[in-house]
Formats: sequence, C-alpha cells, structure tokens
Amino acid sequence: MSVLLSGLIVGILFGFALQRGRFCMNSAIRDTILLNDTTLLKAVITAVLVGMVGFATMAAFGLIKISPTPFFWGANLVGGFIFGIGMVLAGGCASGITYRVGEGMVGALAALIGLAISATLTAMGFLKPIKDYLQSSTKVMVGESNPTLANIFGLPYFSVALAVVIIVLFIWFIIAYNNPPAPKSKDSLAVRIFRKGWGWLAAGIVVGLINMLAFYASTQAGRSYPLAITSGWLTITKMGMGVPETKMGWDAWMVIGIVLGALIAALIAGEFKFRFPGWGMLAQTFVGGLLMGFGAVTSAGCNVTHILSGLPQLGIGSLVGTISIVLGAWFMAYIIFVRPQKA
Amino acid sequence: MEAKVTPTKSLNVCGKICPYPDMDTMTTLKKMQKGEILEVLLDYPLSVERIPRNLTKQGHKLISVEQLDGPNHRILIEAYGLK
Repeated sequence: MSVLLSGLIVGILFGFALQRGRFCMNSAIRDTILLNDTTLLKAVITAVLVGMVGFATMAAFGLIKISPTPFFWGANLVGGFIFGIGMVLAGGCASGITYRVGEGMVGALAALIGLAISATLTAMGFLKPIKDYLQSSTKVMVGESNPTLANIFGLPYFSVALAVVIIVLFIWFIIAYNNPPAPKSKDSLAVRIFRKGWGWLAAGIVVGLINMLAFYASTQAGRSYPLAITSGWLTITKMGMGVPETKMGWDAWMVIGIVLGALIAALIAGEFKFRFPGWGMLAQTFVGGLLMGFGAVTSAGCNVTHILSGLPQLGIGSLVGTISIVLGAWFMAYIIFVRPQKA
Repeated sequence: MEAKVTPTKSLNVCGKICPYPDMDTMTTLKKMQKGEILEVLLDYPLSVERIPRNLTKQGHKLISVEQLDGPNHRILIEAYGLK
C-alpha cells in the first residue's frame, strides 16, 4: 500500500508543479509556430535535461534501471502524428488536460474522457489489430534491448547522456546569448510559489526533479518507469469497466494525484473555476482526446512518456515518437489556426 | 490613471480553451485602428501571462492587466493599427 501511496504523492507534486508552471507541452510545441513564443518550450527542454542528468546519475548509482520504450518506427510515426493532431484539437497534451481538470476546465475533462475511451479501445478493443500490426511489423531491437542513442553504438548510457546534455546546453547558450535577462520579481517567495505562475526555468527544474523522484519511487513499487499519463487512465478505465485482474497500479494513483495536486494549487492561487467552453468546443476537445488515446497506445507513449521520460533515457522509440508528435501538432495548428489567419 | 481609459471594444473569452483566448485577442486587434483600446475579459491562467508577453511583437501596447476576482482578469491593450 505504501508504495502505491508514493504514486499518489508524486502525482500531487507533479500536478501542483504543472498548474503553477502552466507546464503544457501542447502549448510548448504549438506556440513556437503560432505565437512565436518559446517560453514553455524552454521549460520542457529544461525538464528533459534535468531528467537526463538525473537518470544518468541515478542509474550509475544503481538506484534505477533505464527502461526505454520499444522502437517500432511505423507505430511511433503514425501514433505520434495522430497524438500531435489530437492534442491541438484537445487544447492540451496528456499531462495538460489532466492538470486542467483540477483547474475546473470542462473542455479538458471531455478530452480526458475521449483519451481514456480510445486508449482502452486501442489496448483491448476493436482498434487493437491496427496497433498490433503497426507495432509488430516495424519493431527494431538491439540484441535483447530496446534501442537507445547509447546502445546502438555500443556506448555506455551515462557518457552519452552527459554528452547530449553538454551539446544541447552549448547550442542553447549560443542561440540565447543575446537575450535580455528576465526581470527580477519584487514579490515574496511564498507569493511567487503559491500565487503567481512560475517562470520557465523554475518550472522546468521542478518538473525534472519530480520526474527523478517518480523514477525512483516507481522502481521501489516494482514499476520502473518515470512519469507517464495514458497508462494510468487506461488502468482506471479498465477498473471502471470491471475488466478482470486489473489492479490500481502506481501510475493510476499518480494520475489521480495530478488532478488533486492541480486542484490544490489552483485553489490556493484562487484560479479554480468551472469553465465551460460551449458544446461545439466540447465536441472538438472530445475528438482530440479520442485521437490522443489511439496515438498514445499505438506509439507506446504520450507526450510525457516520450518527451519527459523517454528522451532523457535516450530511447530511439521516444525520439521518433517525439518528432512525430511535434510534426502532428504543427500540422494541425497550421490547419486550424495559422491558415485561417492568412485567408 | 488606468480607470480613465475607455475601451473602444470589449472581448469576452471566459471559458475558452487554449489557445483561443490568445488567438481571438490577436485577431480582434488586427481589425482595430491605431490607438483604439481593446478590453479582454478572460479566466484562463496561461493566457493571462501569455497575451501580455506576445502582443508587443505585433506592435500593440499593453496598458494594464487587472485581476477582477479569482482567475478572472481584465487586460487593456492599445491597438497598433495593422488595418
């Protein structure tokens, strides 16, 4: 029981940080082309880099064991692209819609229900054959392991992870060299944590640290993977449907924790409110959720599994999954936001 | 000082999901004359922070961000006049 409780606690921390940091990967990816805004993208890259250093160090000390997602390029490409399209329609990534349920956003709830339904249909319903075909016909392995940027070259994970972090930081430093520094806040620390939205650097570091905690705690619970979203909602849906031998695992408690943590954060900050976006928009977010659920299960990961947890482990499946999510999101953002503006 | 500003136009995007508050604001601003004032009423925390940091890119001027109650905010913007 105590190990499952750790899932709930990690979830509450994650939900709190997501709400305070407005940490949404849909916004991070979409805003780059839509608003020329890279604020949240910087938060996401920071979280990935913190995770990369953290996982590499923890793995070197034997606290965790790296478990990259499988690489099946067909499923990663198709699933990721459909997931990316879905999250733009849903107005949030898998973690984004989960935390916004805690903020009282009804559109996010519709998207989450859509995601849970189609994730279940893809895992065990009539969409399963499509997923199975895409996964089994394009699966690539390195010996007995799922491929990573390290093991395809026969190199140790720790060294490659640190090299990647150094290269990314170097490129980032060159790009951002001339950027003006962020203005200093005059508010007290408590106000900045509980009342105001966090800056991208704080949000990225905190999410990265929570992901390290998640990897360690879930390893103790016998799960051995960092943060993930879809699998938790899938378990909860199966429980609701009364599928035999389904148990509330660490990840199911974690996603419930996210909603609670975001609710607590929103209540303290005075940002909780039932927000109804209208029936048309509700239908759009629901359809977006349906696409996300299919995409996530087919690609063996949503944005959290692939970007936040998979990239730091250098998994090739997550790298391809990430690229397809980005392309799908840009494609849909162009169709529904950029193109109409040009007309 | 802020109270004296009378908005030319008011836009209510309460309840809207990401990124419609931002998109609706930008689209409305595009159709306004230079110097006209747009009032945006919104309740989406991310957009309360994102609209002010992005509107200057199009040359618009942020006049104020005012918290009404809880997540409800009122943003006043002076249009650059792209029309």
